[in-house]
Amino acid sequence: MVVYNFKKIRVVPPGKDFVDIILSKTQRKTPTVVHPQYNIHRIRKFYMRKVKFTQTTIHERMSAILEDFPRLEDIHPFYSDLLNVLYDKDHYKLALGQLNTARNLVDALGRDYVRLLKYGDSLFRCKQLKRAALGRMATILKGNSSSLLYLEQVRQHLSRLPNIDPSTRTIILTGFPNVGKSSFMNKVTRAEVDVQPYPFTTKSLFVGHTDYKCLKWQVIDSPGILDHPLEDRNTIEMQSITALAHLRSCVLFLVDVSEHCGYSIKQQVDLFHNIKPLFSGKPILLVLTKIDLVRFEELTQEKKDLLQSVADEVHDMMGLSNITQEGVANVKQAACDKLLEHRVEIKMNKTGKSVEGILSRIHLAQPEKRDHRQRATFIPQSVTDRRNDVMDQAEDGAPSAPKRKTVKEIEDENGGAGVYQHDMKKDYLLKNPDWKYDVIPEIFDGRNIADFIDPEIEKLLDELEKEEEVRLEEPEVNYADDEIYIEEEDEDVYEKIMSKKSIYKQKQQLNRRANNHTILPRKNRPVDLDAIQKELMDRGVDKETLDRVRSRSMTRDASVTTGRGRSLSTTGRSKSTSFERARSVSQQRVVEEREANPVSAKSVLGKRKRSLSTRNRSQSATDKLSGLVDAKQQVAAIKLGHKKQRLLALAAKRGEADRKIPNEMPKHLFSGKRSIGKTDRR
Amino acid sequence: MATRTQFQNSSEIGVFSVLTNKYCLVAHGTAANFYSVFDAELSDHIPVVYASIAGCRIVGSLCAGNKNGLLLPSTTTDQELLHIRNSLPDEVIVQRVEERLSALGNCIAANDHVALIHKDFDKNTEEIIQDVLGVEVFRTTIANNPLVGSYCVLSNQGGMVHAKTPVREQDKLSNMLQVPIVAGTVNRGSEVIGGGMVVNDWSAFCGLNTTATEISVVESIFNLRDKQATNIVTDMKQSLIDVL
Repeated sequence: MVVYNFKKIRVVPPGKDFVDIILSKTQRKTPTVVHPQYNIHRIRKFYMRKVKFTQTTIHERMSAILEDFPRLEDIHPFYSDLLNVLYDKDHYKLALGQLNTARNLVDALGRDYVRLLKYGDSLFRCKQLKRAALGRMATILKGNSSSLLYLEQVRQHLSRLPNIDPSTRTIILTGFPNVGKSSFMNKVTRAEVDVQPYPFTTKSLFVGHTDYKCLKWQVIDSPGILDHPLEDRNTIEMQSITALAHLRSCVLFLVDVSEHCGYSIKQQVDLFHNIKPLFSGKPILLVLTKIDLVRFEELTQEKKDLLQSVADEVHDMMGLSNITQEGVANVKQAACDKLLEHRVEIKMNKTGKSVEGILSRIHLAQPEKRDHRQRATFIPQSVTDRRNDVMDQAEDGAPSAPKRKTVKEIEDENGGAGVYQHDMKKDYLLKNPDWKYDVIPEIFDGRNIADFIDPEIEKLLDELEKEEEVRLEEPEVNYADDEIYIEEEDEDVYEKIMSKKSIYKQKQQLNRRANNHTILPRKNRPVDLDAIQKELMDRGVDKETLDRVRSRSMTRDASVTTGRGRSLSTTGRSKSTSFERARSVSQQRVVEEREANPVSAKSVLGKRKRSLSTRNRSQSATDKLSGLVDAKQQVAAIKLGHKKQRLLALAAKRGEADRKIPNEMPKHLFSGKRSIGKTDRR
Repeated sequence: MATRTQFQNSSEIGVFSVLTNKYCLVAHGTAANFYSVFDAELSDHIPVVYASIAGCRIVGSLCAGNKNGLLLPSTTTDQELLHIRNSLPDEVIVQRVEERLSALGNCIAANDHVALIHKDFDKNTEEIIQDVLGVEVFRTTIANNPLVGSYCVLSNQGGMVHAKTPVREQDKLSNMLQVPIVAGTVNRGSEVIGGGMVVNDWSAFCGLNTTATEISVVESIFNLRDKQATNIVTDMKQSLIDVL
């Protein structure tokens, strides 16, 4: 919906002021001083800028004016006709057209002079060109001062036009001058139109608003119209005609039956027939005014017939008196109803989505009963009592009971918002009113108030759990689903297995969490003899078998150990007791062997010694020389080693792999000025 | 009797208040203006309580209730719960609900007998709603909108739904709720009815922008001031069509 607001049009300055505004703006917004050192190029630019700036400023101002004024083709026909009547369409268009031409002229002028300025060869010449350009622009503006003046007047008048919405519900009052249109308007709305006992008091359209059926209605009071051909009508009458012709409205044709307005009933009826074409397709109401002076029944038959002929055409005739207020409300209601009906009919005759939307909005869905439950309303007794009291009081006219003070009033009395703090605990509904201001901590002794809310909660929970247990115990197992079915006698074993499994699992997890280090492969892991024994016994291997196996493994172990020394070292890393036993065992074995075979005893001892030494390889320095025959060889080897190390030691390197550059960017090479040769030093 | 009011220049008063037949919760504003509107109208009959939920003033969006109970979101602090509990009559059950959709007011529309709820509500929450509010519960949408609490208001005498609800859906809802239903707007054309007004069986409060036509639809459908719901399709029909 277009909202017509002509109040927003900006002021149009008269020609002379326009020039002043533009020139002063140029002076303010562009540089003003040409310095002596400026070269010709810069001087040219200086003046070009001035010319161009003036031109654009004028262009902008003109465009603003052209945009602000409504284009007659674009606005609602009512407004375009009204503008035509009031300001003469040709004149209006001409003025705007002239401004447009002036704008184009100024643009062309600016362009030309900027072009000329390019060829300005001295300060003086450039300045003269600028002067000529601005002068000619000012002349053009001054030449349009009459259009500007006219447009300013139009603007002022437009801004005072009543704000008529052409699309809303409208009631138009029309008739001869002085028949009581404005009086009726004042009765129905709060517009306070000037009412005087002479014709043409109302010289333009007036708007008032009234309410009916929860809707806002726009009432337009139009100037009176006389019965003569359209060409003879003056501006004032033409405004009425425009409103009648273009606004979709209900027309109230007022006829002064007392003929006090100075026009006979015949004349008024003739007028109706004259302007009848304007009413086509609109709801009309024939209203007889001033019936306090003459009633319809008191008229002569001739006049009655005349009026009746009109009434037959419009199907409706009503009387009213603005003085006695008789019929005023009735006329208003009838007019509104008629218009509403008309508008609804038009709206509903349209097709498409909008109508569906409307239909869904005026649908009242009534429920069908789905069961026999009574769904009662809940209105406290006090409410119904109060309602009855109010009704009684309205009937009796007795003063109502004094009202309670609201919090707002109390607040205002006590210093207003932000100062007064309402006591929210005042209205607590507690068993004992003394408890209202008790401080209740959020957490007390590790307990929250929620823990105390229901003392029976534990009991209830227990009950719930029992109920659940009972439910769980119910034989609801479906064996068909389980693939493994365990007999009752195996259940014991099964349970044991499962528990053991879970224990292992937990142990494993604990273990993993406890030693947060890499997991060794099994073959590198230390073996705990006791643990193995215990585990085997747990699994049902009896002591005897264990010992037997153990003794066998011990003999095998010994022969292997001498070669590798593994068993010993591994056990050595475990418990000390087992270490000692292992050592004693191996020593014992050596002794036995020596006794059995004295020849090989020496070699065995040597082997033994070596095996012991290999165990300590990392600790002893002499170990390095262990592969050498004698001391001489050893000395040679050490010498060789030192020789090998010498170059590396000179370069302060740890070994062949040490390629470290301690400082990749030595400060002295990369900062400051470099003298000859510094760059390559690295 | 429908009253126009606003909460600190906002017409969305349904967001800042909860109204039932047994109590009324009102958000704490900078001044007492909003509270006093409810206070003046209701204090003689039911407690009008200043409330906040999780320190927020949008109590209407966050909690839902009827005369039997009040559901608070899990974000409610213990002090707030305590305050509300102390202020409401003993027969009203106050229950905090652990539900992912914590804006209960937006997701539940209830009168004293039936409730419409958001389709994604938890099964447990649904049971809690049934128990605490003592209502039948229906999971539904209104005009394809899952926020049933925002797009509809209910009393025991009538209900108003989103303006774009199709006629068939209105009939369906009416059968569910067993009250007359009409599609409408508040606050000069706002479809967020639950956010724009609150109502109980004998009074209604609408946003300040609500037009006269909207007010009279509200009064008719909720049977306030002895108006009948059928007014809408008889007396008011023409004005309604004209303003739509």
